[in-house]
Amino acid sequence: MMGSGRKCPDCGSSNVVEDDLYSQPQLVCTDCGSVVSEGQLTTTRSEEVQGTIVRYSQSTAVDKQPCRNQIKGLKRVRALCRILRLPPVIEETSESLFAQAYESTDFLHVSLPKKETLAGCCVLLGCRMQGWPVTMGTVTSLLDTDSCLMGTVYKMVVSTLKLESPHTNIMDLMEGHCREYHLSPPGVPEEFCESADRLASRASALVELASDTWLMTGRHPVPVMVASVYLAWLSLKPSPARLKLSLGRFCQMAKVAVPGPASKRVTELKEVLCRLGQELPWQKGAVVSPQKVAALVGDVLKHRISLLKRAIRSHEDALAMDSVSGTEGLDVANTPSSTLPLSLCTDGVAPICEDLPIGSSPCSEGQPDFHQSQLPTPHAEGCQTAQSVRDSEDVVVTATGSAKNPEVRGEPARGSAEHWGKRHPFVPPCARNPSKKPRLAETGPEVTGDEEISDSEIEGYLRTPLEMREFAETQMKLQSDSY
Amino acid sequence: MEANNDVALDIIITNVVSVFRTRCHLNLRTIALEGSNVIYKPEVGKVLMKLRKPRITASIWSSGKIICTGATSEEEAKLGARRLARCLQKLGFKVKFTAFKVVNVLAVCTMPFHIHLIQFTKNNRPIASYEPELHPAASYRIKNLKATVQVFSTGSITVTGPNVRHVAMAVEQIYPLLFECKSTMR
Repeated sequence: MMGSGRKCPDCGSSNVVEDDLYSQPQLVCTDCGSVVSEGQLTTTRSEEVQGTIVRYSQSTAVDKQPCRNQIKGLKRVRALCRILRLPPVIEETSESLFAQAYESTDFLHVSLPKKETLAGCCVLLGCRMQGWPVTMGTVTSLLDTDSCLMGTVYKMVVSTLKLESPHTNIMDLMEGHCREYHLSPPGVPEEFCESADRLASRASALVELASDTWLMTGRHPVPVMVASVYLAWLSLKPSPARLKLSLGRFCQMAKVAVPGPASKRVTELKEVLCRLGQELPWQKGAVVSPQKVAALVGDVLKHRISLLKRAIRSHEDALAMDSVSGTEGLDVANTPSSTLPLSLCTDGVAPICEDLPIGSSPCSEGQPDFHQSQLPTPHAEGCQTAQSVRDSEDVVVTATGSAKNPEVRGEPARGSAEHWGKRHPFVPPCARNPSKKPRLAETGPEVTGDEEISDSEIEGYLRTPLEMREFAETQMKLQSDSY
Repeated sequence: MEANNDVALDIIITNVVSVFRTRCHLNLRTIALEGSNVIYKPEVGKVLMKLRKPRITASIWSSGKIICTGATSEEEAKLGARRLARCLQKLGFKVKFTAFKVVNVLAVCTMPFHIHLIQFTKNNRPIASYEPELHPAASYRIKNLKATVQVFSTGSITVTGPNVRHVAMAVEQIYPLLFECKSTMR
């Protein structure tokens, strides 16, 4: 505040100081306050030094905001969790998965529909990791996207985040699924009403049977569930009115969508039930027709494990009869089976065995020489879990306890070109009826790839001049016609 | 093809895809006019030519890149490609047969047992993936061979790999894993 050597023209004092008004240098008298002189108002940026102690970016710095789509996606994740009424754990898991996936490089330049689907996939993955049963179809319909897109994005998420996606247990899905069916009084006639609990328990038993008999592996779970619910409903009260109702009508009444393959699953399940129903002691081996099988479903499910074993045994016997009567000189090794679960359970000891291939293991003697169509694998006998053995098998078991020991087949006749699927009673349906011919390697011409190519071979691929002219004329005509 | 434990499996090669370059520009209209067994697709910018003898379909682009599909062995693919190049030569183009490479081989094989897919996936956790809601087969990627195996519950497998040798090695590698999860009747 050193005074500059000037005198104020108004009051004559020499107390004139430099006092800048923002960026305008001014000389002001301290006594009277008058402005003695002032400099230029406009200056260059480099001359302006006020307010430059603190950097602009430091004063206005803001934390990195997530982009709009990420915010929308997180909102979508939360909304989906609320709709599905998921516990907070799953909501948090899904949100963190979404944040991780969104920020990874794989999802950087991805189209908008994919980003929208990503939200659903993260919810699905979160549910799967916590063991909450939700199907992909549910999430797809909630997001209103294409199921192919959903599948693609789901696989991308799993591979990007390097996670393992555990499988949904279909039994958990069953209960929720059964509650969707509207089978209670107001909208539905008395005859057709059914409680969800009874339906769920019987349908679950049917699904277990389906998975035992190779109807589940590789198939979409939802049609199997719908088929088993339908059959359960039929069997809980097999009145003529119910039996007349087809799958489509049933689903219409219960206000549930019919998935495409469901009717095929119904047929397959009925076939399995017929074969098992035939083994019931009081059927005395009479063939059960699919129309009549509904009444027997309850009994079949109650004794399903022993019925499965009996069916396998009778199938083997039937095969033995065929081969004995058919071919001579059959070298059949009739080795009595090793510890049979049947005998074990009558002793009261219930093994829990997972894989029990009887007699055959990778290192057993006399390696069968597999050729595509000849398959000697002595298939594994059934294994049981502890609970099911104790449950209700005793009656049926003792009745069949005196039956002959099951025979394990050794090497079959070399000449039989039967598909291996015919050797087992319960195989995936396409293996049982191989409608296509077994695929044989088409032995094409033995070529080396470097042979000489003669002109005559090539002539066939070239048009003659006459053909070319005709082709050109026809093209011209077609073009002129189209104009 | 022999696997580790004296089992002979038939591996049937169903498709071999190969590429080669002709090092010259090809006029697609000329090919469409003067060649028979030819389909011209102007919207995509390529010509499809089908050969009879080795059953091969070739996609021909005007840049001179050609992709041949449909052969059932690597040698057949090479022969078919050479035949095609000769054909183009006859049509008047200065064709050179260069950069021939077999890009993809697809083979199928049937195991003599059916396979429990969920158990297979559990045993081979990160490498195998199975989503029944998406596809009926479990897929198993072998990184070092760059091969993908799709395993169906009926025991059929399809193998895709960069060449026949890798496909055979992939089958050998996967057989013991499949054998562990072979059919168990419950």
